[in-house]
Amino acid sequence: MSSDMNDRGVLFHAKHAFMPNTLGYCGPDERDIIVRHLEGSSGGEDLESMLKRFEAAYPFLRLIARTTGRDPFDFAVPEAYWIGNGLLEKVNAPDFRDFSRMDLPGRDEQEVNRVFKALGPRARPHHTFYVMSTYATASVRDGPNLKNDSRDRIVTAMDSCRVSWGKVTRVGKEKLQVEYSPLVMDQGRLSLGKPKTKSVSYNSRVRPFEGVKLGDPVSIHWDYACDVLSPRQVRNIAKYTLLDIQSVNRLLAKRER
Amino acid sequence: MCITRVGRVEAVSGGRARVAFFDGRALDGVDVSVVSPRKGAYVEVFGNLALSILGPAEAKQRREAWETIKKASVPDPFAR
Repeated sequence: MSSDMNDRGVLFHAKHAFMPNTLGYCGPDERDIIVRHLEGSSGGEDLESMLKRFEAAYPFLRLIARTTGRDPFDFAVPEAYWIGNGLLEKVNAPDFRDFSRMDLPGRDEQEVNRVFKALGPRARPHHTFYVMSTYATASVRDGPNLKNDSRDRIVTAMDSCRVSWGKVTRVGKEKLQVEYSPLVMDQGRLSLGKPKTKSVSYNSRVRPFEGVKLGDPVSIHWDYACDVLSPRQVRNIAKYTLLDIQSVNRLLAKRER
Repeated sequence: MCITRVGRVEAVSGGRARVAFFDGRALDGVDVSVVSPRKGAYVEVFGNLALSILGPAEAKQRREAWETIKKASVPDPFAR
């Protein structure tokens, strides 16, 4: 694999890991490394080393890479994880189950078993599935109840934490206005709601945002525009997000029985 | 990207808390409104939302599990 392909993958991964790291939710407290490399559009050993210390994201890349015979920073690998692509279909459920039990800190083993028993291959190592299944299932016995008055907060948290996508409707100096479909819950089931606009931050010094224009589709993570997406990527993120929602709704249905 | 982390509530104010995690880091402004813990309680946090309150025994168990995974972390076959 060329180093260009690797750099593309590292940068793509860094763009999507940037905001949760900045907020202190994951990875080492070294955001300046990410910013420097993103603004310089260059990979590097210090960036790779830093990204490898993310407690969940990097193990997911390794899982997808191991199964598909690729390098974790091969562009298709982080793209599969954050956006979704055909590599997700190649990770078999037992490997993903074992990974979830043994390589992911903080997972309750019994809950992991329940999830895989209910979903089998419908559980995919896609970031959105990881996020929604964590919030929506009780890895926590007395935890969130999507039927009570906590529901709106939990759905809002899921919506920020998943990688969503939207179309740019206004370009400002530090903010973009985007139209996107939020995650909503109705009658105990998740779905994507009617499009609405919201303001997200972005960095115009990070390529290709210096030339971002109205109508561009962008990926969004914690209200930060991570990258401009290709039509193929838009199709994939829509496809895998909807599949993830279906899977999580199956889990929610099982919980009711 | 987020990870489920367990930590102890150091201060609570208006539905937000400062939580000190087992990995040595701390986070201000954790939304604890879903579970309403008291100062000193152990909570499980994903992103910036506390999802549950854990008893001391379960928190200890989670801490040990965390440390086991960190210590035994699978060798990186891609390390250069």
